[in-house]
Amino acid sequence: MKLKETIKLGSQRLRRPSSSAAEAVPATEREIDLQHEDDEALVRRTQKGDSSAFDVLVGRYKERLYATVYHMTSNHEDANDLVQDTFIKAYKSLRSFRGQSSFYTWVYRIAVNRTINFIKRRKNHNQYSLDDMDSSIQTDPDLVELMSHVTPRREVALTELQQKLNEALQHLSEPHRAVVAMHDIQGMTHADIARVMKCSEGTVRSRLFYARQQLQGLLSDYL
Amino acid sequence: MDCKKAQPLFDDLSQNRLDSETAVRVRQHLTDCTDCRVLAQRAARLQRLLALKCYERPAPEYLDDFLSEFHSRLMAETQRAAWWECALGRIDSLLVVGTMRVWRYGVASAMGVAVVVGVMWMSVCQTNAPDSAADQTAAANPSLVLADSQATPSPSHSAPDALVAPVPASLQAVPGDDQPTTAGSVDLVQTTARADYTAPRYVLDTVAVTPASYEVSSFHF
Repeated sequence: MKLKETIKLGSQRLRRPSSSAAEAVPATEREIDLQHEDDEALVRRTQKGDSSAFDVLVGRYKERLYATVYHMTSNHEDANDLVQDTFIKAYKSLRSFRGQSSFYTWVYRIAVNRTINFIKRRKNHNQYSLDDMDSSIQTDPDLVELMSHVTPRREVALTELQQKLNEALQHLSEPHRAVVAMHDIQGMTHADIARVMKCSEGTVRSRLFYARQQLQGLLSDYL
Repeated sequence: MDCKKAQPLFDDLSQNRLDSETAVRVRQHLTDCTDCRVLAQRAARLQRLLALKCYERPAPEYLDDFLSEFHSRLMAETQRAAWWECALGRIDSLLVVGTMRVWRYGVASAMGVAVVVGVMWMSVCQTNAPDSAADQTAAANPSLVLADSQATPSPSHSAPDALVAPVPASLQAVPGDDQPTTAGSVDLVQTTARADYTAPRYVLDTVAVTPASYEVSSFHF
């Protein structure tokens, strides 16, 4: 199916009024069915022209991609734009996706590469627009331990800590920042990062090592 | 185990990704080596600090409209696409459909061969064109061709090559021939002029052998 027709179908499905219960029920059931399908099946459906299958993929990965891109840019508007761009690029290129890697790795690679290019372009004008800290951080044992050493004024220190962490990350080069965001913040394995960044695990380890050395210098007050 | 081998494994040790034997050896090294122990402790603290960043999250409703935004942007981008992008997309989708997938490489190869043949044909035509013009000139006036083939090349000369006559050996000038020479200056003149010396030539107004002018501009003293 041609791209324009596919998009039209997708938006018609989204704009469909919910007043008609008879129509809404099959659509919902179908969406529930799609939710249970794995990535490979959803990709095949999208390649055949079923754009609602791609919507499920977007819903499945938007938050994870947003988090990675946000930790690289430290700006939530930029992160939102870049993730949107990533999914648009993925949708347009899905026809050429041959399933040699998983959809997750593939879309992650697009996001990381686009973010690295974006950071290189806007190198000299960093603007922070930070997300709020989740309130559950207050009970995190690591934070409690850290704050007991650093300062008793926890709330002030928390904002300051957030600012310092983001500033320190902005000092790293783009590939180093990507590796730190994926490994130390999101907990991805070396092997997954190597697949996303199309490099060896050794390269990932060495980037992580040098990035941490730099960060230790920048965040020495908190270590 | 030495420090160089142990340090890259600290990360794996903290996340229990090492086999038991290697883990024991790394732990033993950490017990023995103070520098590595400090390094590992700092690295672990840094990791715990960075892990706090996962609490930075957008407001819960921030990504609610993500899908509808995605659809509207996708629609806008498709409408903005140039006509040739749409055409290429349609050709591509046509080639992808069913059995045409097999032929897409064949079509691409045939187009590539056609381009190469076209370029070769054009280059052959271009190399033949000047030769044929020269052949026609030679057929019209053979004496000009004779003069051209024997003439001394002169890049500074603006007259057509066909009108330059060969210079007899007896008439070839030595630098400084038409200048009065003094005893001490001969060597100096000859050595300085030899570097950019070009043979003087008679420029003919017609094909006749009579010299029309004597070109001395190439001498520099």
